[in-house]
Amino acid sequence: MTAFSLPHSAGIPTQARRYHAARLAPFFASALFAFFAGSAQAQPASPAQAGANDQPATYVGSETCQACHEDVFNAFQKNPHHLVETSAKYKFDTKACESCHGPGSKHAESTSPSDISNPAKLKPAAADKVCLSCHLNQPTNVGRITGSHAKNQVSCASCHSIHAKGPDGVAPHKAADVNQQCASCHGNVWASFQQPFRHKLPEGVMSCVDCHNPHGSFQPGNMQTSRGSEPGCLNCHADLAGPFAFQHAPLQTEGCSTCHVPHGTNNPRMLTRAQVQYVCLECHGNLPLPTASDVNGTIPPAIHDMRSPRFQNCTVCHQKIHGSNVDRGLFR
Amino acid sequence: MKYLVGLAVCVAAFAQSPAGVSNARGPASAEATPAPATGASDQSFSGSVDLGYRFRTDVRGSLESYRSVVDLSEGPRLTGIQFTMLDPKCGIFDRLDASGYNWGDPYNTAGVRVAKKKLYDLRFDYRNVLYFNALPSFANLSATGGFNERWYDERRRMSSLQLDLIPGRSITPYLALDRVTESGTAIWPWIGPSNEYPVPVDRSDMQNDFRGGLRFEFSRFHMTLEQGGTTFKNDDKARFTGVNYGNRTSTVLGQTLQLTDFMQAYGVRTSSIYEKALVTANPFSWMSFSGQFLYSMPKTEANYVDVGTGSFADAATLLLYTGQIDNVSGSTKSPHIAGNAGLELRPFRSFRILASWSTNRFHTDSFTNLRQQLAGVGTIIAGKIDPFVSNYNQSETNLIWDLTSTLTLRGGYRYEWGNMTADSSNLSQLGELENGRLNRQVGIGSLTYRPFQKLSVNLEYQGASTTHAYFRTSLYNYSRERTRVRLQPFQSLTLQANVSVMRNQNPLQGVKYEFRSRDNSVSLHWTPAGGKRFGFLAEYSRYTLNSDINIISLPFLTAGSSQYRDKANLATAALELGAGPARFTVGGSLSVTTGTRPTQFYQPLAKLSIPFGKRVSVNGQWQWYGFNEDQYIYEQFRTHVVQLGFRVVL
Repeated sequence: MTAFSLPHSAGIPTQARRYHAARLAPFFASALFAFFAGSAQAQPASPAQAGANDQPATYVGSETCQACHEDVFNAFQKNPHHLVETSAKYKFDTKACESCHGPGSKHAESTSPSDISNPAKLKPAAADKVCLSCHLNQPTNVGRITGSHAKNQVSCASCHSIHAKGPDGVAPHKAADVNQQCASCHGNVWASFQQPFRHKLPEGVMSCVDCHNPHGSFQPGNMQTSRGSEPGCLNCHADLAGPFAFQHAPLQTEGCSTCHVPHGTNNPRMLTRAQVQYVCLECHGNLPLPTASDVNGTIPPAIHDMRSPRFQNCTVCHQKIHGSNVDRGLFR
Repeated sequence: MKYLVGLAVCVAAFAQSPAGVSNARGPASAEATPAPATGASDQSFSGSVDLGYRFRTDVRGSLESYRSVVDLSEGPRLTGIQFTMLDPKCGIFDRLDASGYNWGDPYNTAGVRVAKKKLYDLRFDYRNVLYFNALPSFANLSATGGFNERWYDERRRMSSLQLDLIPGRSITPYLALDRVTESGTAIWPWIGPSNEYPVPVDRSDMQNDFRGGLRFEFSRFHMTLEQGGTTFKNDDKARFTGVNYGNRTSTVLGQTLQLTDFMQAYGVRTSSIYEKALVTANPFSWMSFSGQFLYSMPKTEANYVDVGTGSFADAATLLLYTGQIDNVSGSTKSPHIAGNAGLELRPFRSFRILASWSTNRFHTDSFTNLRQQLAGVGTIIAGKIDPFVSNYNQSETNLIWDLTSTLTLRGGYRYEWGNMTADSSNLSQLGELENGRLNRQVGIGSLTYRPFQKLSVNLEYQGASTTHAYFRTSLYNYSRERTRVRLQPFQSLTLQANVSVMRNQNPLQGVKYEFRSRDNSVSLHWTPAGGKRFGFLAEYSRYTLNSDINIISLPFLTAGSSQYRDKANLATAALELGAGPARFTVGGSLSVTTGTRPTQFYQPLAKLSIPFGKRVSVNGQWQWYGFNEDQYIYEQFRTHVVQLGFRVVL
């Protein structure tokens, strides 16, 4: 078994891979797997790889890069990644540029872009591999495999700027900047925040990452977590976390979005329906009387005359709708 | 070996393990801990301060609606301050970042980060948000005065403090404390016998989350061991003296109901300790693994008392009386276990397998003792044990194949299963307990096409078949399609289009749930020459939602249906013009919806910034807020807001 590939090996078949690929055919004779193996072999090598095959490039150090890329070099001095240049921990001290771009001797000689690996032009998975060679084993990436960004080929560089100057160079920190970055892809979500009842993202007091973890999460929708593993909504709405003596089951099994539209809506309290009674009755309205487990939800008694405004908002009486410690009917 | 592991993962995932117990909403997220920038070699200080004054014209229409939606007021404002100090030779820190925004507004923030290379990294974040909501249409319009009986005016303060020691080392201890407090006033009804009486409430609750742990980061694996806890307290109180006739307009047993004196007090205390372990590892070059395990045991102790005097009547028991005392005490425990694991296998360069498993299991046991004393009648004592059980499991496998250097295909399968048991209400037709099962199979497919670097196309599809779900509106037989296209023909021009479609159907007799939504959006960002003289961005989204479900209609328990329609046109635009260092921006946003609750919300704005020298600039901003509701015209409002200020670059 080989060690995890060094970053500059991204996209370059290693000896180990060739070895495993060679073992593949006799081991799995299925046409499907052979086809996969064939596709892997058939993929044309990049010019950088071709160059590398002639004579392996060697490391030349960041100062050599500075000679031509001075603007990038200078900006990089105040970038968090500059740590790679100065720390022996990452084994690329004085060679930070080549920690991501690979050995640069050939490129330094020819100045040809084809003689250097450029992660920005790699496939997302290959580009991520460069980043993950350092960042994989960090708590940030615990949910990466289950996260939708990784599954949909959204690479690290889609959000992170690797060279930029300053502490915000790698990723924006100010709420408004974070929101702008997320909205650059999720424009339809950002549009929802233009509606009157929404979380306060347009005001800049919240950002998308307050609720979502873009690196991936074990929660649906890349949600952040609260109290270890509860939905991130409870980070702010602490009074709704419980545990309550009398739970409202959908809150526990379906989540807040059963009744609320978190990104924005034209319904007060960010409800899914224009009137509260329909939010409730769509679950508490079984026809015929419930007989199967798929239709939980008790039918309200006939004393609720929905023609009267007195009864049209169920939460006027059932005010502890998220759970109560006092009353089985969630009255107080 | 890796092929065998990969095969085993696929077989296990597709084998559809029998519906059992466990549960899947797992924790996720690990805190991003970017290393502080340490490359600076010189001492430096940079920052800026934005000060201003906001003017607001009188709100035409409903001030309460304005406060519920916008809530910007007049007065001086510290709209922003941020600075960074770099001092590598300082013994206490080598980097200090501080920021604060919107001070003077109903929502403001502050943040501080102090770091010393290889020694510590301290971050503090603070937010103070005012929540006001008093829309008459939300609650009982027929009440005296037609006010919102779920009115509130609350302030929520959230602060977070995290300290990482010796950051960047292989073993990093950390400590964190989060606090959320909520205080303010509200109106809630007290639900008395045969009537409900709105009373003023003083809200007060506070939660402290504390956690600490060790992070072990090595080249092949990482592990975080964390222990944390939560304390929560709620001390809401209500007090009323006077004559309150409540919402009932008719007499009961010939008696006019009224509340003349009332006191209510909650005393809720929750505490919880949890243990969490996170692991990531790449034992081989072709395998990555991540996992998480959590155990927690939250407990709640609750005490409640209310004392009401007046003229009461209970139609159900035919009792007339003048006073009532309710005294409730109870305790609740909810042990919770969650486990999650993810595995990525890369048997070939162009082929990956992503597999994940989740389980989330908890149950709640509670005992509640109610002691109710009705004046002149006697005492009723009732004890109640209420169990709640939820187990959720999920298994998902995705196969990702880079068919060519520009085309990536993904196919996957997810299986979700679980069960729940919940207490029914007093009037349940199902008996004391309600039970539910979950059994859902989801097929997943996606395509990512990047013919060249400036164009990307992403298509994703999910289709689900469900045989058991918990509730009538749960996801049942659903499909979800999403298309995202992004084109950047020039460095200065970006175009994007999103189409998202979702359908959910529950064909069960008596339910007949049909849900369809479509969300189409396009956006354009054009900033030629880096936006020095001209910049334009525009986004437009059209969202439609149609929902139909059979329900029972009250009071006659007849067949009816709930139909909800929403067609929203949402747009934002900004045109920025630059003349030398001066900038002028005009744009804004609009939201126009038709359907069940037609609403229009307009927010046009114009901004001007004129610099004087290198360090000072004068800013002005005008914004208009216009809110209309066709069915609730008494909630409309419009107002102009003008802000003048200046920025000083430090």
